[in-house]
Amino acid sequence: MGTVILAGTRKGLFLLRADESREHFELEAEAPLLPGWQVNHAVLDRRDGTLFACTNSWVYGGQLHRSKDGGVNWDRAEGLGLPDESGLQLGATWHVEPGLASQPDVVWLGAEPAVLFRSEDGGATFALVEGMLEQPTRERWQPGAGGLICHSITLDPAAGDRLYVGVSAAGVFRSEDGGASFEPANNGTAADFNPDNPFPDVGQCVHKVYVHPTRPERLWQQNHCGVYRSDDRGESWERLEGNGLPSGFGFALGLDPADPDVAYVIPEEGADNRVTSGAKLGVYKTTDGGASWQLSSDGLPQPAWSVVLREGMAWDEAGVYFGTQSGFVYARRHDGSWVEAARHLPPVLSVSVAEWP
Amino acid sequence: MAVVRLPALLAQEAGARRIDVDARSLGEALSALPVAGLVLDERGALRPLVNVYVDGERQRDLDAPLTPSATVIVVAAVAGG
Repeated sequence: MGTVILAGTRKGLFLLRADESREHFELEAEAPLLPGWQVNHAVLDRRDGTLFACTNSWVYGGQLHRSKDGGVNWDRAEGLGLPDESGLQLGATWHVEPGLASQPDVVWLGAEPAVLFRSEDGGATFALVEGMLEQPTRERWQPGAGGLICHSITLDPAAGDRLYVGVSAAGVFRSEDGGASFEPANNGTAADFNPDNPFPDVGQCVHKVYVHPTRPERLWQQNHCGVYRSDDRGESWERLEGNGLPSGFGFALGLDPADPDVAYVIPEEGADNRVTSGAKLGVYKTTDGGASWQLSSDGLPQPAWSVVLREGMAWDEAGVYFGTQSGFVYARRHDGSWVEAARHLPPVLSVSVAEWP
Repeated sequence: MAVVRLPALLAQEAGARRIDVDARSLGEALSALPVAGLVLDERGALRPLVNVYVDGERQRDLDAPLTPSATVIVVAAVAGG
C-alpha cells in the first residue's frame, strides 16, 4: 500500500513511490519499466492493481502493454487495428482509461487516428468502438500537431453509459449509450484559428477534458483556445479568462476530487511559443470555479521555460502532480508547496498517480 | 526448422533472441513469432521500418520461400535519438 506516481517518458516508464508525507519520492530500483518504448500514458487500475501503458515505437507501432504483477511481466493487448474498409491504419496509442468500478472488466483506449477501443476482458483484447469511427462529422476533423488523436476519455461515475472523449482537432464528444454513438459537445468553445467560423460544431482543438468525479455534471477543459468549464454535462461551455491567467493556451489540467471549484492549469505563452508563461514554471490554481486564478509556484524553479504535455498532470484526493519535457516531476499537496519528486528522467510525456491496492 | 533472430526490443518482448519456426515462407515464419503484432501491422504487412534478411539477402516479400535451414534476421531501421 502506498502512493505511486507513474511517469511515462519517451524512453520507458518510471515509478516513483511516495512516503506517507507525500513530500519525498523514491525512484523504483527497476527503472525504467518497458525500456525502449515511448510511453504516452500509463495508469494503475484502481480496481485491481493492473498496470496499463500506451506504448509506442516508430518501428513497431502503437501498442498497449499490461502487467498484473507490478511491472515484472507484461503482455500486449490484442485486437488493436482498424478494418480494411475504413481505409485507416492505427497510429499511436494515447490514453488508457480503466472502466468504472461497476464495470470491472471494461478498459477504454484512445488512439490515432481519432479512434476508440473498448475491452471487456480486463484489457487482454480490444474491439473498435464503431460509434466513434462512424461519427458523422469525422470527415471535417483535422489533425493537430500530435496527429488526429483521441487523447482524452473521461467517464461519468454517476451514469455508467455516459462518457466523453477529446479529439485533437475535432473537439469533445459525448456518448449517452456506452459508446454506441457520440455527439459533439462543443457549444461555446472557440476555434480562434478559424476566423471564418470561430464557433463551429466540431473542429475545436481540445487539449484535455475531465469530468469532475464528485460533481459529474461539471466538466473542465483546457483547450488550444482557452480554459473552459461546463456545468451541464458539456451542453455549453464558459470560457474562463481575463481572470489572472497569463494565457489561455496550455495542455495540462488538474482537479481536486473534494472540491469541484478547484482546478489547476499550466499556461504557456501561446500556440507559437510553447513554453511556460513569463519565464516561470507556473501552475495556476482556481478555487472559485475559474472566476479567478492564482499562481502556485512555491518550490518550483525560476526562471524556467518548461513544457508540460496534455497527459503531464495528474491529481488525486491528496494532491496534484506534473512532469516536464525536461525530465522533472513535481508534487504538491492540495494545501501545500511543490516538492521535486524526480529529476533527470527522459522527457516526461505523462503522469498519473495511484494507490497500490 | 528455420531460425529467426530478433533485435533487442523484440527479444525483450519475446523473451528470446533466437526463435525456431517451422515455416515454408517468410510470412509464415514472421506470423508464428510471439512478436508477430510488432513486426507485422494490422493488415499483416511488414511494417515499413522493419527490415528482414533471409540468409543474408534483404527480403520484403512475405511469400518468399524458406528452406528448413534458413536464417531470418529481423533488423529495426536505424535512426532516431
